[in-house]
Amino acid sequence: MQELLSVKYDVESGDFIRGGEASSSIKKLLQQLGIKADIIKRICVACYEAEMNIVIHSYGGYIEAKIFNNKVEIIAKDRGPGIENIDLAMKEGYSTAPEYAREMGFGGGMGLPNMKKSCDEFYIDSKMGEYTEVRMVVYF
Amino acid sequence: MKEIFHSVSLIEERCIGCTKCLMNCPVEAIRIKNGKAVIYNEKCIDCGECIRVCPYGAHVSKGNSLNDTEGYKIKVLIPSVTLYPQFGQEINPEEINKALLSLGFDEVFDITFACDVKAEILKKEITKVEKPAISTLCPSIIRLIEKDFPSLNDHIVKMLTPIEISAALIREKYCKMGYKENEIGIFFLTPCPSWITKIKELKYNEKIGFDGAIAISEVYPKLLKVLNKTSNKTYRKISKTGLLWSFSGGQSQAIGIDNFLAVDGIKNVIKLFNDVEKGKIKDVDYIEAYACTRGCLGGLFLIENPFNAERIAKKIIANGEFSYNVELHDEFQSKFAREDILKVNLKFADDFESAVKMIKNMNKIINMLPGTDCGLCGSPSCRAFAEDVVKGLANLNDCKFIKNGGE
Repeated sequence: MQELLSVKYDVESGDFIRGGEASSSIKKLLQQLGIKADIIKRICVACYEAEMNIVIHSYGGYIEAKIFNNKVEIIAKDRGPGIENIDLAMKEGYSTAPEYAREMGFGGGMGLPNMKKSCDEFYIDSKMGEYTEVRMVVYF
Repeated sequence: MKEIFHSVSLIEERCIGCTKCLMNCPVEAIRIKNGKAVIYNEKCIDCGECIRVCPYGAHVSKGNSLNDTEGYKIKVLIPSVTLYPQFGQEINPEEINKALLSLGFDEVFDITFACDVKAEILKKEITKVEKPAISTLCPSIIRLIEKDFPSLNDHIVKMLTPIEISAALIREKYCKMGYKENEIGIFFLTPCPSWITKIKELKYNEKIGFDGAIAISEVYPKLLKVLNKTSNKTYRKISKTGLLWSFSGGQSQAIGIDNFLAVDGIKNVIKLFNDVEKGKIKDVDYIEAYACTRGCLGGLFLIENPFNAERIAKKIIANGEFSYNVELHDEFQSKFAREDILKVNLKFADDFESAVKMIKNMNKIINMLPGTDCGLCGSPSCRAFAEDVVKGLANLNDCKFIKNGGE
C-alpha cells in the first residue's frame, strides 16, 4: 500500500502549554480528507495520549501521521529514557509519571492502554536510555 | 439536507473593506473580496462577533418588527429570560410581562415554565449521552459542533431548548382550542442573532413552528414607556429556578449538579471543545457552553452590561417565591426530543485522492507564504489563504509577499 501523504510535528519535552497542538493539526487534516467523525475521534484520543507521553516522559520527539488510502498510521517517537518493562507499562493504572505531572491530571497510568484501545493495530518498541517508538494504525 | 440560513449579513455601502471582522471571526468565515467583506455561509455560525467588532455598522442581524405580528388571530410572545434584568435595577418580572402584553399580544408565555420542564428532563437526559454531556441552549454552539466538532455529537443532550419547548406547548394549546395553524403567531423575543437564525430554520417545523423572532433592542424603547418600575419586588407567578437560565452556570444550578463546566465566549468554547475531543476533560458531567461572554446575558441585542445584568438577575432570583416543581412525565421525553445534528462536511473533495492532492498542494503553498497573517490578500491567515487557493476561492497572486514570485 502506497503512502499518499505525511505530516510531521516536533514535540518538545515539558511543554504542557503547546502539547496537544500536533493532535489538533492532525485532526484538521483528517477532517479535510473527509474521514468519518467517529474514526477521527479515535485517532485524536490516541494521538493526544502519545503526544503527552512525549511531553511528560521524554527529552523530546515527534509525531508523524502517514495517510494511506485505507488507513492512517501515527508514529510517535521520542528520545528519552525508554521503557524498562513494556508489559508492565501496558497495564492499566501503572505509571512512572513524575509527581508534578500527576498533580496536573496526567500520568494516571491509562495512557498506553487507552492508546491501544483506540486503534486497530498498536506496536511499541523501546530501547533503554535511547528511545520509545509507538506506531498506531486506524483503518478508515 | 437541511438548508443553512443565516441572520448575520452585510450592508455593502457601509463596508470599507477594513480587516476588523476578517481578523476577529472565530471560525474564519469572512473574506475581503474587492474591498468588501464576504461571509461564507457554510462556515458562519451566527455568533455575531463581526457585528460587535465592525466600526462602521456594516454587519447587521435583522429580526422581525412588531408590525410583523399583524394578521394572526392569536399572537403569543415568548420573552427570553435575559429580558428581566435589562432595566438597570431590580424590577418585578410580572410587571415586565404585563408591559409586553400591552404592546399588542394576546399572551406573553412564561418561559420560566419551559425552563423548569427542561431542567427536570435534563436531569435524566444528561446521563444518557457520553460524558461530559453538552448543553443545546446556544444555537451558535450547536452550529460550531456540526461544523468543526462533529465527533462531539454523542455528547449533545438530545432535548429541545426551553424556547422550542415553549413554542411546542403554545401551538398545542391553541390548536386544541380550535385555532388553525396559520392563525397562531408565535414570536420569540431574542437576545441574539443566533436565535433569529435558529427561528428562521424552525419556521417550517410542524411541532415547533415559530413565526418570527424580534430583537429585545427593537421593543426596548416601547417597553420603557409602559413599564411600571415601582411595584412590589416579590413575585409569585414566575419561576425563580427558570430565571437561572439567563447566565452562564445557571443551567447547572437549575438542574442541581455541581460537577459542571460553564464556558462562555466563543473562543473559550473552541478551546474547551478541542480538549474534550482529545479526551482531556474527564470526570465532568455537564458542559454549558455559550458563544457570548457570561452566557445569554452577553447577547448582542441586550442593553444592560452583562455583568451588571447578572447581578440584577441574581437579585431577582433571590426575591422569587415560586418554582413550578414540574413532575416528569415519560411523554415529555419523546415529545421534546431534538433532531440529530446536521453534520457539515469540511472535506476538500468528494473523492479521497483529490482531497489528498489538494492538501499536498496546500502544504506547498503554505511554505511559500510569509506566515505573517497580514490579511492583505483578503483571507484571515496564510493557512486559510492557501486553503482558499486550492479550493479555487482565491488567486495565488493576491498575496503581495509570496516568496519566489510564486514559482
